[in-house]
Amino acid sequence: MTSATQPVSADDPFEDGVSRRLRIAFVGKGGAGKSSIAGTLARLLAAGGEPVVCLDSDPLPGLATSLGIATSDAGIPDEAVEEAPEGERARYRLATGLTSEAAIRRYADTGPDGVRFLQFGKTRGHVAPLMRSQFAFRHIVADIDDTPWHVIGDLPAGTRQPFFGWAGFAHLVLVVAEPAMSSMLSAKRLARLGEGENAPLVAAIANKTRRDDDADLVSQATGLPVWASAPVDPAVREAEHLGVPIIDHAPDSPTVQALRSLLERLHNEERSSP
Amino acid sequence: MKIAVVGKGGVGKTTTASVLARGLSQRGCDVVALDCDTNANLGLSLGVGLETTERLVALRQALDEGEEDHAPSWDEMLARFGADAPDGVRLTTVNRIENMDPGCP
Ligand SMILES: Nc1ncnc2c1ncn2[C@@H]1O[C@H](COP(=O)(O)OP(=O)(O)O)[C@@H](O)[C@H]1O
Ligand SMILES: [Mg+2]
Repeated sequence: MTSATQPVSADDPFEDGVSRRLRIAFVGKGGAGKSSIAGTLARLLAAGGEPVVCLDSDPLPGLATSLGIATSDAGIPDEAVEEAPEGERARYRLATGLTSEAAIRRYADTGPDGVRFLQFGKTRGHVAPLMRSQFAFRHIVADIDDTPWHVIGDLPAGTRQPFFGWAGFAHLVLVVAEPAMSSMLSAKRLARLGEGENAPLVAAIANKTRRDDDADLVSQATGLPVWASAPVDPAVREAEHLGVPIIDHAPDSPTVQALRSLLERLHNEERSSP
Repeated sequence: MKIAVVGKGGVGKTTTASVLARGLSQRGCDVVALDCDTNANLGLSLGVGLETTERLVALRQALDEGEEDHAPSWDEMLARFGADAPDGVRLTTVNRIENMDPGCP
């Protein structure tokens, strides 16, 4: 098990201790490529034999496809939570005796290479059947630092969830941005997640680049360092049309290569940090 | 006529809304474009530029933080919290980026 008691410095996306785990949240404008990238990175990690859990807090579908998990809308079952006693801030809490780790083992789907997938479920109409599931999800994520998993989170588009604390588990926030005005403006706003005490490290991924200087453009426009850059990649589109993971469809595509380098970079940062 | 454009992130809601707004305006309708996205960038699509887009977001934020008074009427709201976009469209931003406080699920 990792130690959750040691504080993590803001410029260290990894836990201190014996086995250091990635805690990454992907954020960005809609369509920037969060789900494609998050799923592919998770699969790369899992293929290397690492334990990975993916968190999907988007009420609309996306991440399951890039992971290669047969799409299911179902969230976490009601039994995972119980009503909190009167006077507590949250209405539900995790069922008595249920830890984050046990909940992940019990409720997260298992995909290719053993990658795990936890979602609070997909919206089906106006009704709010997801309420208990969302509470369960929030509680599981709140204690996820105590678990031995690498954590890769895919947040919904925009600024709402990130600024409401849904990326709170992350030691590293990766903002996916296309080299287009609105995407970069969104990324610049999201860069504020790195402000304040105990804020995570924030970096950008330039996606769907067309020119050599697009990564620089993203960096300038967002004020963020660009840690990876992937070009407009027909293989990603093809995989999407076929409904299969990018990593299975085109393991040597430029996008997968870019994410391999990113992963290497993350591991190097791990080795070089004290 | 009131039209709401909705859909999954990245599919083209903002672009569609801006083309509708300017097209209707060109055909002689009085058009108000409301940016209801918490991550507001309709201004960019309409063509008012980055600075004005950000100014409207800042104004909206100031309103929430009590630094600006609420407008007592629709017209005054459009006057004080809006900006002129090309083709005579009037743009206003009705949402804002949330603050960093964690909230309910
Ligand atoms: N590097 C890329 N090249 C080409 N298309 C891409 C690339 N990355 C993502 N896409 C496509 O862009 C669309 C949005 O990607 P997605 O990962 O769903 O974005 P998000 O989760 O940020 O909304 C999808 O159709 C996907 O196939
Ligand atoms: Mg997505």
